[in-house]
Amino acid sequence: MYAINVTNLTKKFRDKVAVNGINLQIKEGELFALLGTNGAGKTTTIKMLSGLITPTSGDIKIENMDIKKDAFKIKEILNVSPQETAIAPNLTVKENLEFMAGVYGIKDKSKKIDELTQRFNLAEVLNKRAKTLSGGWQRKVSIAISLINDPKILFLDEPTLGLDVIARKELWKVINELKGNITVILTTHYMEEAESLSDRIGIMANGKLIDLGTPQELINKTNAENFEDAFVSIVTGGKE
Amino acid sequence: MRMLNFAKRNFKELIRDPLSLIFEIVLPLFLLFIFQQFKIPSDNYKLENFTPAIIVFGLSFITLFSSTLIAKDRTSSLLIRLATSPMKSSDYIIGYTVSLIPIIIIQNILFFAVSLILGLKFSINIMCAVIASVVVSILFIALGILIGSLVSERATGGLGSIVVQLVCFTSGMYFPKEAVGKTFSAICKALPFESCLNIIKGVLNNNFENISVLNIIIFSSYTIIVLVLSVIIFKKRMISDNK
Repeated sequence: MYAINVTNLTKKFRDKVAVNGINLQIKEGELFALLGTNGAGKTTTIKMLSGLITPTSGDIKIENMDIKKDAFKIKEILNVSPQETAIAPNLTVKENLEFMAGVYGIKDKSKKIDELTQRFNLAEVLNKRAKTLSGGWQRKVSIAISLINDPKILFLDEPTLGLDVIARKELWKVINELKGNITVILTTHYMEEAESLSDRIGIMANGKLIDLGTPQELINKTNAENFEDAFVSIVTGGKE
Repeated sequence: MRMLNFAKRNFKELIRDPLSLIFEIVLPLFLLFIFQQFKIPSDNYKLENFTPAIIVFGLSFITLFSSTLIAKDRTSSLLIRLATSPMKSSDYIIGYTVSLIPIIIIQNILFFAVSLILGLKFSINIMCAVIASVVVSILFIALGILIGSLVSERATGGLGSIVVQLVCFTSGMYFPKEAVGKTFSAICKALPFESCLNIIKGVLNNNFENISVLNIIIFSSYTIIVLVLSVIIFKKRMISDNK
């Protein structure tokens, strides 16, 4: 069974086709990166997969459930860490975790919060208000919150955008630890991030999924020296 | 339970914003105190009339700050996160509304406490006036949800201030509307703020003749219309903001 199974997914905004007939299968426990230039359609695709917007046509099955018919059930097994830090600014880190645990109806809140505190080393900031934390800490808290409901599927939208190299490497470690247990769909503009973390990478351009494979398969396919060159070659159709 | 969980979060966000506390509680308390020192020879400034006026004035800041919270939530990624969670639209609307009720009760307790110190006679009607003001507050909360759903966080300041000004000038809290002319008087009658003030004033003073049927009709009509509009527009904006 696939964690995500997408058939002929299309999204139109009036006359503009943002996503054009995508077919995609993502295995359980896989870390899948979705890459593309600005306006390629990856954000719209992620929004449809996470149930934020409805497709114009096509089907999305999440853990074999239909995203339209079983929206409520699906919402209980997925979580999203949006691009901008998604935390309540005037609440402490602990209160943020408690609030989101309440949203998902987690029964043993304290146990779950303790577990996440240990996993993300949050003890030193637990009682600090979220708005007083540095960007790196806020991002870390935001990702910790996204694991509050033990999601089967996790969407990470540009998780390390704007972070310094140390904070980025630290988050890579956390994301790497999720591999195998949770199906992760990652969007990023950092090629080395996609290459280092992903099992497979999908590349989008003009609303279409134009290539798909492991980082090494994509490098081999384009005879490129590295993944960044492979990406450029695929997106430009080999013109650059 | 999700709505209560959300309400708890909203309450903490509002109560921890010092600016919101200053305008919702400190400023009305200051006005209540200072106008009693001037000994203005007008019935409007008698404690039994001016305390309900201050309550309605305080409610206008509830509109201002609730609209800011909602607009801020709408544009932040927090609402994207919540939109992918099992929360329903009703959880948001009721969660926002319920979170403001304790603040309105705190306002009332403090306003009446100061009024009692300044000389307002204690009566059981004070309790009834608190309940009446909670009912009246539904209009102000719905206005906050509507404004917060319609415009950006920056614009909520401007629109919220218009509500504050309308309350000041059209509720009859500072001067009798008849003193300004027929047209102005008709505008005051058509807007809901004078009715809000008359309802709380009538309940506090056990003077129900002061509450006209027209007051009840105007208040109820505005409340129902604004409430329905706020729910529809909030739902629509939740979808369109995520496009």
